[in-house]
Amino acid sequence: MSRIFVTGIGIISPLGDTLSLNHTALKQGVCGISTLQLIHSNFAGKLPVGEIKTETNTLKEKLKVKETGYTRNSLLALHAFMDAINDSKLSNEEITSHNTALIGANSVGGMCLTDELYKDANSKSQGSEYLSSYDGGSVTLAIQQRYSMRGIINTINTACSSSANSIMYGARLIQNGLATRAIVGGSDSLAKYTINGFNSLYILSDEICRPFDSERKGLNLAEGAAFLVLESEETIGNKKAYAELTGYCNANDAFHPSSISENADGPFLAMQGALQKANLQPNQIDFINTHGTATENNDEAESKAMLRLFEKVPAFASTKSNIGHTLGAAGAIEAVYSILNLTEQEVYQSLNYKNPIQTIGLVPVTAYTKLPINHVLSNSFGFGGNCSSLIFSKA
Amino acid sequence: MSMFYIHQTVCVSAQKTNGVINLDDIQPINDNKLQAIEPNYDDIPPAMYRRMGRAVRLASGAALPLLNTLTFNGIVIGTANGGLEDCIKFLNQIVDYSEGKLTPTNFVQSTTNAIASQLAFFSANKGYNNTHVHRGLAFENAALDVAMMLNEFPDNSYLLGGVDEISAYQYNIESLAGSYKKESIASADLYTSKTTGSIPGDGCTMFAVSKQKVGAAAKLKAIGTIHTNKVEEVTQYMNHFVTKNLGSDTINLFLSGENGDNRHLPYYTACKNIVPNVAVERFKHLCGEYATASSFALWLACYKIKTSNLKNVLIYNNFRGEQHSFMLVENA
Amino acid sequence: MEKATLKQQLKEQIIQFLNLTTFKPEDIKDDQPLFGEGLGLDSIDSLELIALLDRIYGIKINDPKEGRKILVDVNTMVAYIQQHRTK
Repeated sequence: MSRIFVTGIGIISPLGDTLSLNHTALKQGVCGISTLQLIHSNFAGKLPVGEIKTETNTLKEKLKVKETGYTRNSLLALHAFMDAINDSKLSNEEITSHNTALIGANSVGGMCLTDELYKDANSKSQGSEYLSSYDGGSVTLAIQQRYSMRGIINTINTACSSSANSIMYGARLIQNGLATRAIVGGSDSLAKYTINGFNSLYILSDEICRPFDSERKGLNLAEGAAFLVLESEETIGNKKAYAELTGYCNANDAFHPSSISENADGPFLAMQGALQKANLQPNQIDFINTHGTATENNDEAESKAMLRLFEKVPAFASTKSNIGHTLGAAGAIEAVYSILNLTEQEVYQSLNYKNPIQTIGLVPVTAYTKLPINHVLSNSFGFGGNCSSLIFSKA
Repeated sequence: MSMFYIHQTVCVSAQKTNGVINLDDIQPINDNKLQAIEPNYDDIPPAMYRRMGRAVRLASGAALPLLNTLTFNGIVIGTANGGLEDCIKFLNQIVDYSEGKLTPTNFVQSTTNAIASQLAFFSANKGYNNTHVHRGLAFENAALDVAMMLNEFPDNSYLLGGVDEISAYQYNIESLAGSYKKESIASADLYTSKTTGSIPGDGCTMFAVSKQKVGAAAKLKAIGTIHTNKVEEVTQYMNHFVTKNLGSDTINLFLSGENGDNRHLPYYTACKNIVPNVAVERFKHLCGEYATASSFALWLACYKIKTSNLKNVLIYNNFRGEQHSFMLVENA
Repeated sequence: MEKATLKQQLKEQIIQFLNLTTFKPEDIKDDQPLFGEGLGLDSIDSLELIALLDRIYGIKINDPKEGRKILVDVNTMVAYIQQHRTK
């Protein structure tokens, strides 16, 4: 099967709206989690979140969006998409080609417009401009329409593993000859809907999250977007590749709607499958970008899965300690961060960590370190037991 | 890229397509809707059933007969609006209780992948699991996903499904958007209607698929999709699809997704004119219009191939005149 | 409110809140464990019942683990409600 390379990256996160800004912030151990500000909610001024401090209208102006129906989610996705295609220097002909796929992912769709959705759904309005913007597909369709894309277009929603799955789907399309290149990734904006949803499950922390720490209290929600351009070795030409996508796998925990089983079968099978796909042994993984949400359940379960799979667990960290949990965007954003580990040959401090989980004893990376890195494993485990793992290797 | 063989299927729709199939006794449009006849839910443990929104119920009822008798290596679902009813219920809670103590069931059930994960849970299926939500091509992408998995793992078998629900809330949103007919309409008059809008439907169709030819009901030979609102781009694509996948073979039946919305008729007319001597049938008077209605069409194609001994069926469907798909189904 | 009346009312409310459509109040014994082997509720149900206590009886429980100590059976729930209700 064709080898898959990453030739373009676009990212916007609480650490910044360029790859360079994100990289600098990670190196410096910056925490982009702050108090909720831009959403009208009882949680504003109280809840720690990874919020991009750019108002939606400002984003709209920056991206020169005049079309109606663009939600904050669509704008974040568009921002990252534009940077990715420019980074890969894709021509208009290539973007509109039948052989170029666009695979997006998100979990919020247009539900960030909680108030408009309430009125429209309860027929308390004449119909807002967002009637066709609430579903998950609307975000990807906004980009498809803007760029007149004619290849295979898709949107995936498997909660927190969504954009890891969109990356896999895009890679498969290329390997099966259904596309010559795929622009893949995901986005999610903060929303009253998800804030209240996660709060009702008691898995939000009222403090900045502490992945893998014994005193962790839950996750911080966040927003962001990332897109990658994937190309095969046949079409990459002279383009510089950031990294190669060498392994991937999706498996299901089949245990509970919102927590992982004690044996962590889902995470274990996903990681094991990715290694098999990459034809790698566990001891060849140099670093793991964990799912590491800082919920009691995930960090313990993920740790158990790592201990099951690795005789010696490699260096690992959670970048959610820098930005929070970006839900549908997490897989793609963390793929970008994993690629930085490879291109820069370094790993970043897993923030807000003090003591290991008592029953586990694993310690994440506690300081910025230069390290020889050939293979990075990135995990994303979602609601419904949907577990995905990606492996990126030095190009 | 080769696709797959379809073995067992279950179709839950507004028609008598589940259990004893009887498409001669057509269930008409009722109250301007074609709501699916709910299947038997006896196999669902009450502890799970009580939480389920309509889409999860329909999918569970459709899938369980297959999950209980067959083994799958993975489950892939296409749904554009699965869970929206629960989504709005949770939203109403947020407003009614001013973000106070909210109950999580609606939230957990509102995630579109609640369907695929529920099915995995029923059957302790730890294999590949994915949910495609790309509106009018959610099912087609789910089918492509399964086809690619089968290329990589040719000995595997997968449960492939398409499901969407009519919820009161979704109906309100779509009505405001002008998706549905404002005037009352009977099934017999749907395709001669001169007005905009269609008739909402819902349902769930599940397929057990693999690379095994022996015992198969039909073969999904090819799928093609395109996003455009230009008729000429659709016909150009169709010509290319037909040439590539049929060559000089003839088509036995053209199954058209016409839905009574006069805005979308030009696409269907133009595509029909590319195959002028082929018998044409329509299916939306049976299942109604919804984003994953093409899953019903695929079931119907398999059914017609078997009962009418057809060689092949070409399905053309579009959603809102923007997302177009072609599926070529053949006798196994 | 009399204990017996409160028990009956609570059982009806549990059935309604958790959509236990196959149950009637008389099917739920006062000392039948709500979780595990008894009524078979799970962790999401416990969060639903915490919301029930808040909405109907004005009782706020902020830690689900603490909540589980109260949500043992109908008897313990009723005792707690009688002591702490603000509605």
